[in-house]
Amino acid sequence: MIVPYSHVLVLAGVLFLMGAAGAIARRNVFLILIGVEIMLNAAGLALVGASLHWGRPDGQAFVIFIMAVAAAEVAVGLALIVHCHRRTGSVNADDYRLLKG
Amino acid sequence: MTTLGAIFYVLAGITLTATALAITRRQPVHAVIYLIVSFFSLAPIFYLLGAPFLALLEIIIYAGAIMVLFLFIIMMLRLPPAGQAPGRFARQWLPALILASISLAITVWIFLSDPAGQAPLAPALASPLAFGRFLFKTYWYPVELASVLLLAALVGALYLGRRDPPADQEGEKT
Amino acid sequence: MTAVLLFLLLLPLAGAVLNAILGRHLPRRLVEVIASTAILGAFVMALLGFLSLGQRTVDVSFFQWFAVADFTAAMTVHYDPLAAIMALMVTLVSGLIHLYSVSFMRDDQDYVRYFCYLNLFVFAMLVITLADNLIFVYLGWEGVGFCSYALIGFWYSREANATAGRKAFLLTRLGDVAFGVALALFFVLFRNFSLSYINAHASDLGSGLATAVGLLLLWAAAGKSAQLPLSVWLPDAMAGPTPVSALIHAATMVTAGVYLLMRLFPVVSLSPTALLAIAAVGAVTTLYAALSALAQRDIKRVLAYSTISQVGYMVLAVGAADIIGGMFHLLSHAFFKSLLFLAAGYVIQACAEEHDLFRMGNLRRLLPAIFWPFLIGALALSAFPLIGGFFSKDRILLAAYLQPGAAYKVLWGLAALAALLTPLYTFRMFFLVFLERPDGRRETDLHPVPAFMAWIIWPLALLALVDGCLNLPFGPGKDWLAQYLAVVPGARPHLGAPAAVTLAMSLGSATLILMVLAFTWLLYRRGAPAFTWKGLAAFLFSGFYLDQLYDLFLVRPYRLMAQFLWQDVDERGIDRGVEGVGRGFLLFSGGLGWWATGRVSTYLKMLLLGLTAFLAVLAAGWLVW
Repeated sequence: MIVPYSHVLVLAGVLFLMGAAGAIARRNVFLILIGVEIMLNAAGLALVGASLHWGRPDGQAFVIFIMAVAAAEVAVGLALIVHCHRRTGSVNADDYRLLKG
Repeated sequence: MTTLGAIFYVLAGITLTATALAITRRQPVHAVIYLIVSFFSLAPIFYLLGAPFLALLEIIIYAGAIMVLFLFIIMMLRLPPAGQAPGRFARQWLPALILASISLAITVWIFLSDPAGQAPLAPALASPLAFGRFLFKTYWYPVELASVLLLAALVGALYLGRRDPPADQEGEKT
Repeated sequence: MTAVLLFLLLLPLAGAVLNAILGRHLPRRLVEVIASTAILGAFVMALLGFLSLGQRTVDVSFFQWFAVADFTAAMTVHYDPLAAIMALMVTLVSGLIHLYSVSFMRDDQDYVRYFCYLNLFVFAMLVITLADNLIFVYLGWEGVGFCSYALIGFWYSREANATAGRKAFLLTRLGDVAFGVALALFFVLFRNFSLSYINAHASDLGSGLATAVGLLLLWAAAGKSAQLPLSVWLPDAMAGPTPVSALIHAATMVTAGVYLLMRLFPVVSLSPTALLAIAAVGAVTTLYAALSALAQRDIKRVLAYSTISQVGYMVLAVGAADIIGGMFHLLSHAFFKSLLFLAAGYVIQACAEEHDLFRMGNLRRLLPAIFWPFLIGALALSAFPLIGGFFSKDRILLAAYLQPGAAYKVLWGLAALAALLTPLYTFRMFFLVFLERPDGRRETDLHPVPAFMAWIIWPLALLALVDGCLNLPFGPGKDWLAQYLAVVPGARPHLGAPAAVTLAMSLGSATLILMVLAFTWLLYRRGAPAFTWKGLAAFLFSGFYLDQLYDLFLVRPYRLMAQFLWQDVDERGIDRGVEGVGRGFLLFSGGLGWWATGRVSTYLKMLLLGLTAFLAVLAAGWLVW
């Protein structure tokens, strides 16, 4: 016996919302990305817990894919940040406003 | 409360604290370090929940590759030390806090009121071998796609990150 | 017969169309010839038709106009003695007036438009005269209304003329509404628009409906024939060229209303109430117009009020159930009134467009050519014994007197009084124009007028002299018209009057008329003392202030309402409302635009907000469920 399933979910939920709050409240683009990573991780946690709850490995397989996607996304995201930094000289998200109407 | 349960709660506490610290740091490097700690404490939780392979992957990929990549880029850009007017703290954090706490209240209430979720999880383990077999048997197609995705990310990152030829750099005003 | 009737209708129309299309490219003389030939050709056709008709009735159908479901409307013609003699009169008088117009309009450059409308008018009038299908009649009805409007406002560059045309159109339109309602009633009741059918089945109508139909037709006739309360357009209609006044407002259009009542007499006569109403309108109008004519200064306005008065007699005749008397007077009036108008036109042109009676005078000496026709016309109008209107007016008064009921006696009294006023105003006009006066016209004030205009009206003068012979109460040709029209439904050839009463009336009226003539001569002869009756004159001059009354109670409230609707409702309400909606939209989109800050953090915030909202809805659903 470990813990009730709902506790796992609560942990995952709290982590997720913390990541969301962090992504929203910060201006530095790196810290926004970090918030996104936290959120992805929390989702993975929830899936693993579910996989144990239902007794099927499918949840874990999904987490593998989430990790793969997270890796790809971080790579491209950071490359974008580098590019934008070269363009505007700033990593403040508020400074990326060229597309504003 | 069983041993495993106690371990779980301790690890959960560490994770939460580390994450909270990570999102509130001013310097990106500090935030990354704290996040690494958070991932490190999350890995044993994965193991507890019966996914040893994923626990390892968490450390290798997330904490090892992704966060290191973060550090590389942060250092590469040679950012000036981050400074911020203190008064802006509340203005920045207030909407996030409000929204997050509302959502938190709702989700926690939903999770805790589900009767099916109150039963404790029975420990089980998916051995890497069995898990690998399962993955390649049932989800071989998404695996192949994931590799293609990584290739695409690679190419994209290469392209986005290259230095523009001098001609483009000069005429870049929009 | 079919061919004759077809040509009768189509010749004026062809003339109008031809002139309308080609008139501008043809020499002036040719245009005039086309127009006049069309009408004279129509007269020949009318004569042929009249001669070959005899005393029967012919129904001719030309073609199907439209057929919808089980309803068909065909262009049918109901040619009976009434129609035959009316058509004869219309074409004859129109023909003479066309010839007169050639000379009268010699200096006007707009002759094409004039002759087109004149021909078109004759066509429409003939449609009214001949048509059997009531929708066909309505076509002619509207046609004469439109042509009247166009011709009254012929010299439209002066605003007063255009206004007069508009006024005529609006008032006759008011009457036409009643006609339309009556048509609808006919359709509902009979499912057929044919005059002959309706007259044959008239007894199917209940008395209430018969009264309603009768009153509706009375209202329609009052509009077209300028009876009270819709009479105010006729005096102003004198703004048009004088031949137009002669044709439209003496002989034809104003008689169309009475003619319609006569054609539909079996329907109208079903209700004694309707008949009494008709008679009352006729009698009251007669007296009203006669009184108003006494104070007029414009020579044409005297004649206009006189027309209103005389048409009132015809309406009274219909109300007294004497169609033959009405028709008799219609014919006489057509001759002597158009004669008077045309003669007045000559006088006006000779006096350099002067219309005021008090600025004429001495014209017996200066314009001898027109003196005799004018005199004949005046005598006929005054019902001088044995001339023109004497017999017809006498018959009408007799019919009114003989109708059962005390009301009719009162109406007879009114009409008789008007009959005595007629010579008064007629000869007031005559003496003012022709007799020697120290302040009258001098030779040097006159313009030359073609002599043609003076002698083309002699046929009318002769007809006016002798048209009493149409229906003499004695002699070889006795009661010719009455016998001729006896086959018309509703006609009463003999009034059934005791000989003593008839004789007494005739002698009495003859004597009184002669006395009034003498009295008028005393008032207006050379050297008579001038007199004025200020307040009464103003009252009569304005036609009992009827115009002002309508203006105060109808026109002004309408204007106020229109102003209100325009400024308050339309401009302030609707325009601003629409603008407000536009502005609201702008504000709204501006507000929305404020949302798009272009900042990533804002968008992220919105994402979380969406998520929160979604969760809240989920929780609410969970709770409820």
